[in-house]
Amino acid sequence: MASIKFDHVWKRFGDFAALKDFTLDVADQEFLVLVGPSGCGKTTALRCLAGLEEVTSGTIMIGDRVVNDIPPKDRDIAMVFQSYALYPHMSVYDNMAFGLKLRKIPKAEIDRRVKEAAEMLQIGHLLDRKPKALSGGQRQRVALGRAIVRHPSVFLMDEPLSNLDAKLRVQTRAEISKLHQRLKTTFIYVTHDQTEAMTMGTRIAVMRDGVLQQLDTPQNLYDHPANMFVAGFIGSPSMNFFEATLVRGDGQVLVDFGPFQLPVPPSRIDAIADHIGMPIFFGIRPEDIHDAHYVPRGVDESARLMTTVNVVEPLGSEVYAYVENGGKEMVARLDPRTKARTGEVLEIIIDMSKMHIFDRDTERALI
Amino acid sequence: MQQAETLSARPARRVRWMNRDRAIALLMIAPSALAIAVFVYGFIGWTAYISMTDWRGLAISTSFVGFDNYLTIFSTGRFQTNIRNLIVFTLFFLASCLVIGLLLAVLVDARIRFEGFFRSVYIFPMALSFIVTGVVWQWLFAPGNWPNDPTGINLLFKQSGLGFLQAAWTTDTNVVPGWRIEGLRTRIGIPMAMIPVVVAAVWQMSGFVMAMYLAGLRGIPDEIKEAARVDGATEWQVFRHITLPMLQPITLSAVIILGHISLKIFDLIITMTGGAPGNNTEVPGLYMYEITFKANKFAEGAAVAMVMLVVVALLVVPYLIYNRRTEVER
Repeated sequence: MASIKFDHVWKRFGDFAALKDFTLDVADQEFLVLVGPSGCGKTTALRCLAGLEEVTSGTIMIGDRVVNDIPPKDRDIAMVFQSYALYPHMSVYDNMAFGLKLRKIPKAEIDRRVKEAAEMLQIGHLLDRKPKALSGGQRQRVALGRAIVRHPSVFLMDEPLSNLDAKLRVQTRAEISKLHQRLKTTFIYVTHDQTEAMTMGTRIAVMRDGVLQQLDTPQNLYDHPANMFVAGFIGSPSMNFFEATLVRGDGQVLVDFGPFQLPVPPSRIDAIADHIGMPIFFGIRPEDIHDAHYVPRGVDESARLMTTVNVVEPLGSEVYAYVENGGKEMVARLDPRTKARTGEVLEIIIDMSKMHIFDRDTERALI
Repeated sequence: MQQAETLSARPARRVRWMNRDRAIALLMIAPSALAIAVFVYGFIGWTAYISMTDWRGLAISTSFVGFDNYLTIFSTGRFQTNIRNLIVFTLFFLASCLVIGLLLAVLVDARIRFEGFFRSVYIFPMALSFIVTGVVWQWLFAPGNWPNDPTGINLLFKQSGLGFLQAAWTTDTNVVPGWRIEGLRTRIGIPMAMIPVVVAAVWQMSGFVMAMYLAGLRGIPDEIKEAARVDGATEWQVFRHITLPMLQPITLSAVIILGHISLKIFDLIITMTGGAPGNNTEVPGLYMYEITFKANKFAEGAAVAMVMLVVVALLVVPYLIYNRRTEVER
């Protein structure tokens, strides 16, 4: 069990900086997810923590120990790789026992730990098999087991679910979460999948181009994204963005889109008062746009808009509709009862209490 | 039910064992299959047959004598010496090629500069014929009137102040330790003159082994080694427990390839030593040539050939079976 601290860490590969002044504190027993698009530096951060890459500058601490110059074997960590990286010439049992044998742990204890982990992961019947005789899901479990038996103070996972099929991924996702609750150890989990991040993390660190964008709980990331990148990255389908201007009129503040205007709820005016008269980016999530006939209770219906429906994607439990007004297209996540049909007109309600306003230059969130 | 009856009542479509594709395929492989059947397996059979006749001299003779020729050659000191030499040569050649090849591969794999250059340098000797290698190394290992008027590497040693390293090389008649065993007509040990021959063979083939190991090393995913490091392995333990076992198939292939070259070795030795001194570097390949074509003992020569065939088969056949099995597993 240990906390983790990245302190102004830089990692360069030649001219390319994979981590730029990366600072991050992870509490003991936390399940921290590092998420971002490919090439954002999340895997590099994990590999630096594991000791598989040397940092260019800055310090990394595990517990109260600076680990910059400590080799991977002495960092008291275990890692699950994307490819699982099982030892192909060893049986499942030996794969799991390898790290313990190297540490000269007594045979009986090794046996006990391997059997215990195998039972936890339901792979007890596979212990004599070689990795090539296992399915993808089984290999994944062995890789987890190899980490569990070590009783490390930190678990590192590098996209461990990305090679599984969709169904198994959802199932294993829940099992890893359970594992975290059971082992009560710090987990650092790297993924590019925002669903995995949202469902598993106690906190999520969103990264882009080697820079930490925001570190917060899943709900806060969703409700209060710090900038347009985080707003667009978290949530599916992505948030709709429009260039707009804040204007004053009729005793209220309006968001002026050009072809149409929408009123800002009075409760949110204070936060954007400085930007009235200035260009901004307006953001609204697809789930905060409703069919005017099926508006959930409690939603203010004052922001109405007539739109043309371009595409309808029924998913059963909901319907994605691509609607537009005056060249401004947006995705709406509608009630499945919607009558929206391609090419027809649909009146929508935009829940302005859920709007997001970003500075046009810095793309930072204003509210 | 009725439907099932009508189905089974329909005349079964005859499956022809010979269709057009198959006929063409057979036609295509027939010439080479026939040639191999006659010129390889046919002549092996012919040799096996000759080895059980009393054919000596130029006139062919086909009187059947059973295994007499085998008993004869195995009872001669010369053939026993050949076998001893072959064992010594094979063991030293294999071990040195594997160790040096692996060492070179690990060094070249360490992402050094000019890797391509070193790789080519080490593999290049393989492009030469054993005849060329034999001639060159014969010159190099010719001791001259050492220690005072040496030639070849003895001269190099002398001029670089390492005169104490001078040796008789290919002219050394010692067998170390040279034990005598009741019933054997040869001395057991390492014929010292064989050492230069081994050096030449290793010089030629270790680059090839390096290339094989290098391909093997490149085939081991970095993640597996990283997993081992995180699991607590030192660099040596990663090599010992991960890299080396994962190279095992390469080692096996190398042993088979080197082994069959070694057991049939002829050209290198005939140019380098011709079997001398005494018969200290003579191997069955040379002996077969000598008694067949110089002494005209065709039946005995055929017997030597059959012994060589069996020895090579002992090495290769298990490998082929193993390969087939692992292929089926895949």
